[in-house]
Amino acid sequence: MRRHFALTAVGRDRPGIVAGVTRVLLQAGCNIEDSSMTILRTEFAMILILKGPGELEAAALEKDLSAAVSGVAFFVKELAPEEVHVARTVGQSYIVSVYGADRPGIVHGVARALAERGVNITDLNTRLVGPEDKPVYVMILEADVPPDVPGDELEAELKRAANELGVELSLRPLETHAL
Amino acid sequence: MAVREILVFPDPRLKAVCKEVKSLDEGAGACVQDLVDTMNSHDYCVGMGAPQIGELLRIIAVDCSRYRKPVPNRGLIVLLNPQILTAEGKEIAREGCLSLPDYTGNVERAVRVVIQGLDRTGRLTLVETEGFEARALQHEIDHLDGILFLDRIASLKTDLFRRKARA
Repeated sequence: MRRHFALTAVGRDRPGIVAGVTRVLLQAGCNIEDSSMTILRTEFAMILILKGPGELEAAALEKDLSAAVSGVAFFVKELAPEEVHVARTVGQSYIVSVYGADRPGIVHGVARALAERGVNITDLNTRLVGPEDKPVYVMILEADVPPDVPGDELEAELKRAANELGVELSLRPLETHAL
Repeated sequence: MAVREILVFPDPRLKAVCKEVKSLDEGAGACVQDLVDTMNSHDYCVGMGAPQIGELLRIIAVDCSRYRKPVPNRGLIVLLNPQILTAEGKEIAREGCLSLPDYTGNVERAVRVVIQGLDRTGRLTLVETEGFEARALQHEIDHLDGILFLDRIASLKTDLFRRKARA
């Protein structure tokens, strides 16, 4: 009976990592279902959902990957059958844009205000941009707002948090256009 | 006429709501010329709003003939007190801004617009356009209300797979 696993990999980026990882996975009889990869500065990170043979052990797969691909940290976790489904949103999705002079606490301040309302962050991207002496912090995130949380109330709370942090904040509903 | 310094965020003037131009005096005329000169001094820059040169007036300049790729355009457009009368359609494309260097995002804009404003001689004029030129005009008009393209980001990814809503 085949089982699902979650695999994460983090390390210094270089050509050949994906080729090395997928060779090990193929040999182990694994199928890559969903995956996502990103590179931030010099570092590479990847998360994959795998389906593998019933007898596959997470620890053994980790070991094989580390042996085959140097300089990358691997973590493999088996997923229980009920854990494996397409992530679903519960309410309306919003995009929140935050930007201002860089300072500690921006991500936490906004994330805390969202968590207090049971809002889940489903995607997040931050960048430090601008000149080194006057850096600007930009954060864009996608949030899943439960149906019982009015959009205008959330907006007011978020803007209050942004004000305390000295940053600009705006949000708008995320729309999908069927063409 | 002068090439002015372009303000870079977090300069607070970029978040200000600009004032209507009441009369076409020397000040307004100089501002228009400086805006055009500054825009032309940057390679491939296709638009600029007065607040970007520190003038909190409702004046924009757009010239899509300067774009690195050929796009349909009507050359230099200068508008004072521009107002979007109609906006139709939606399109997402990547935008950047000289006032926010090193960052680009997927921005949603109307595809077809009709914009009213005064030209640089003070005459009421109507601009009806679409696509890239419409996008540039919307981007610059936003500057007059302290809105940056970051406030219009439509999505983080080019959205191949969206999370499904619970049925």
